[in-house]
Amino acid sequence: MAGAIHSVDLPGGQKLSISSTKKVRILVAKPGLDGHDRGVLILCRALRDAGMEVIYSGLLPTPEEVAQMAIDEDVDVVALSLLNGAHLTAFPQVAQGIRNRGDNNIILVGGGIIPEEDKPLLEKQGISGNFGPGTSLATIIDHILTRVKDRG
Amino acid sequence: TVQTDILKEYIAQKEWVYPPEAHMRIIRDLMIFCTKEMPKWNFISISGYHIREAGANAVQELAFTLADGFTYLELGKEAGLDVSKFAPRLSFFFNSCMNFFEEVAKFRAARRIWATVLKEKYGIKDERALLLRFHTQTSGASLMWQQPLNNLVRTSIEALAAVLGGTQSLHTNSYDEAWALPTEQAVKIALRTQQIIAEETGTTDTVDPLGGSYYVEWLTDEMEERAYVYLEKIESQGGVIEAIKKGYLQKEVADAAYRAQQRVENGKDVVVGANEYVDQDERPIDTLKIDAAAQKLQIERLRKLKEERDITKVRDSLRRLKAVYKDDAGNSMYEILRAVKAYATLQEIVDTGREVFGEWREPSIL
Repeated sequence: MAGAIHSVDLPGGQKLSISSTKKVRILVAKPGLDGHDRGVLILCRALRDAGMEVIYSGLLPTPEEVAQMAIDEDVDVVALSLLNGAHLTAFPQVAQGIRNRGDNNIILVGGGIIPEEDKPLLEKQGISGNFGPGTSLATIIDHILTRVKDRG
Repeated sequence: TVQTDILKEYIAQKEWVYPPEAHMRIIRDLMIFCTKEMPKWNFISISGYHIREAGANAVQELAFTLADGFTYLELGKEAGLDVSKFAPRLSFFFNSCMNFFEEVAKFRAARRIWATVLKEKYGIKDERALLLRFHTQTSGASLMWQQPLNNLVRTSIEALAAVLGGTQSLHTNSYDEAWALPTEQAVKIALRTQQIIAEETGTTDTVDPLGGSYYVEWLTDEMEERAYVYLEKIESQGGVIEAIKKGYLQKEVADAAYRAQQRVENGKDVVVGANEYVDQDERPIDTLKIDAAAQKLQIERLRKLKEERDITKVRDSLRRLKAVYKDDAGNSMYEILRAVKAYATLQEIVDTGREVFGEWREPSIL
C-alpha cells in the first residue's frame, strides 16, 4: 500500500521517519492484578505524542477482557505490561484470547519486570519486545512501528 | 499501625475496591472503634510514599499527603470525635528520595504545616497533639537495576535524609530492589545501613540538627509556600475527594511522572550507571527464587480452613456485616471482627462490601 512518509517526534528529541497510510491503533493494558500504572500512563502519553491512537484499558482487566477489547477496538497492536511475575500466564492468555476470537493479525508487545529467561518463551507466543525498566520510550515506539511496518 | 489510608490509593497506588464515600465510612468506623477500644493504636498511616513513587515531585508528595491528613481530621471531627484526642493517632508515611536537602526540608515543612493548621484552625493547645509523627521508606523508584551496588549508596543517603528530617521510624530498601524480592543478604545490608547510622554517626543524638542552616531554612519556607498553593487549589475544587473524582490529583501525578521520564531520557537528570557512567557488560545478579510450592501450600491451607470452620457462623457474620454496611450510622468494625473470628476469608468480607457499595472505576485522565 502506498502511503505518506511522515516524521514522528520521539521523546528523547530524535525524529523517526515512517511511512504509513493510517494511524496505528494500540491498546495498552495491564492484564490481571497489577495496579502499578506509572509506566503505562507514561507510555500512553508517549505513544499518543508519537502519532498513534491509544486506547488504555483502565485497571484490572482480565486477560479475556483485554482480548475482547482488542477485537472491539479493532487495534493493530496490544501492548501488555506487568511487574508482578504473572507475565508467563497472563500475556499468553491474552494472545490465546485474541486467537480464539478469530484474529491472527494483531501484534503483541510486552514490557515490565520480565526476566531474560522468560523472553524466548513469550516470543514463541508472538509477544515481542518485553522491555524492562530503563528502556527508552524511543526504543519502544521504534519497535512497535517497525513491527507494524513489517506486518504491512 | 495499620496503613488504612484509602485516599492515596485513588491518587497513586490504585488499590481500592469501593467508591470513596464507602471506604471513608469504613475508615470512620475504624477511627471511632479505635478511639474507644484501642486508644494507643495508630489506626492510620497517611501516606505520601506511594504518591511519590507514582511520579509526584517532593512538593506534591508533601501537599497531597497533608491534604489527605486534613481530610481524615475532618472525617473524625464530623463523626463526633474530639480532635485533640484522635489527632495524635494520625501517623504519616513519607518517601525519602535522592535530593538530600529537598527531602530534609520536606519533612520539616510537613511538621510545621501540620502543627500550624492544628493550632490555628482546630485550636489544639496540647503540644503533644501538634506533633506530626512519621515513618519513612527510602525510595524504591530511585534504585536502578544497572550496577545494583550503587543502590547501597543511594539508600544510605536517603536514610540519612530521613533521620536528619526527624523520622520516627525507617525502612531501608535492599540493593536488589529493581531486580526482585530481596535476598536474605540484601535485606541484612539494608538493616545494617540503619544500624550504622544509628550507632556510629551521632546523627540521632540531636533534634533537628540542620535547623538554622540558611539553606535548609530557606528551602523549608519554599516548600511550605508551594505546598500551601496546592492545598488551596485542592480546597477550591471542593477537597481531596472531589479532586479525586475529577482526576485532578491523579493527573498531577501522571504529568509529573512523564516530565521526570523525559528529563532522564534527554539526559537533563543524570542517573549514575543508568544514563551516564554506564557499564557495557552488565551481568545478572543472584536473586531470590520463590518456591512454586508456596502457592499450592496456601491454597491447601485455605481449603482446609474452609472445611473445618463453622459455615453457619461465617454466613451469619457476613449477613450481619451486610446489614450494618447498609446502615450508615452503624459501626461496621464490630461485625468485621465477628466475621474475622468466624474465619470468614478476606475475599468473603470484601465481597460483602462489593454487594452493598459496588466497585469504583477511576476517571480517565489521558
